[in-house]
Amino acid sequence: MKTLRYNDTDFLIGKTDGKLTIYRVLADGSHAVVGTGLFADVSESQAQECAQALVETIFPVGVHTVGPDVNHPHAIGDINIVGPDVGHPNFVYWNQDSTSFPR
Amino acid sequence: MEIKDSVFLVTGGGSGIGEAVAKFFAEKGGKVAIVDRQQHDIDRVVGEIMTAGGEAIGIAADVTSEADTTRYILATVAAFGKLNVAVAAAGIIRDSTMLSLDKASGKVSRKLTLEKWQAVIDDDLTGTFLTLRDAAEAMVNGGWEGLLVPISSVNKIGQIGQLNYSSAKAAVALMPKIIVGEFLMRGINNIRCVGIAPGYTATPMLTGMNQEALKDILADVHIGRLIEPRELAQMIGHCVENGALNGTTIEITGGLCNAHGIAK
Repeated sequence: MKTLRYNDTDFLIGKTDGKLTIYRVLADGSHAVVGTGLFADVSESQAQECAQALVETIFPVGVHTVGPDVNHPHAIGDINIVGPDVGHPNFVYWNQDSTSFPR
Repeated sequence: MEIKDSVFLVTGGGSGIGEAVAKFFAEKGGKVAIVDRQQHDIDRVVGEIMTAGGEAIGIAADVTSEADTTRYILATVAAFGKLNVAVAAAGIIRDSTMLSLDKASGKVSRKLTLEKWQAVIDDDLTGTFLTLRDAAEAMVNGGWEGLLVPISSVNKIGQIGQLNYSSAKAAVALMPKIIVGEFLMRGINNIRCVGIAPGYTATPMLTGMNQEALKDILADVHIGRLIEPRELAQMIGHCVENGALNGTTIEITGGLCNAHGIAK
């Protein structure tokens, strides 16, 4: 089986009856099937490229940001921090370049 | 359309009705893309399909996200070269009556929250819309024969405690008529749309419920049992193969008889 490393995850690519099966290596070393019965009609080298492209589509690299959750209070002792309240009139959006930290 | 060698996309394919549909089509020689929120459910179902000799891929995604919808359509076409059938089976429930009263005072003590309302509308209605829309786009642009299958529910008639769910499923039940009418208007003649409205089905949600309550439900079902998920899959299989089925939502309930057309 060929291996493919992408986004800190190892994938194994095997071939059965002319079709590819892609496995994802889990943290405990076991395997999960990403897809099976793939790319029968393409050459060996193309199949590898197709496998990599499919893995990149199924497991995209990205950052998922959530928040600020203005409804979620954080208590530190007696202090209740609820913010930032982006709807408050004193909340300032700073969208200018800083001279100290140019973009 | 033949099931064998057709490509199927099944949202909610990691459990319940979606899992049964995915496995049914894989068993019949279809190639299946399974979409679900839960990676461990996807891994299990794709693994079981492979063990049974079928062909499948799994994509973890949120059906309410436009970006995710694009991603799973792209992945399906990248893996199997086309897309023929999209089954929008992903759905959730968040049951509550709109108002609850305090027994002593008779005043309102609790309301159906916006969170519960919105979550169901997002998943069951918007998620279905996004899947069908983008699947149809791929089918039209690819020139592939296709079938769109929104999953409604018999509770589209109005289920007490499910204002959110019944509203979403009533809207979903209308989709085939509107979509097919628009396809006719636009000259899209090779893509059909048939909705399925299941009755009470033997998913873990129902089989795990209070058995007395389940007995009450079954008292209204003519065949005296829950519908098996595989029976729904067989109905969808029939819709794939029978090209005359189009522009309608088909109920499969085992003969559910509700007094006054309103569920309990």
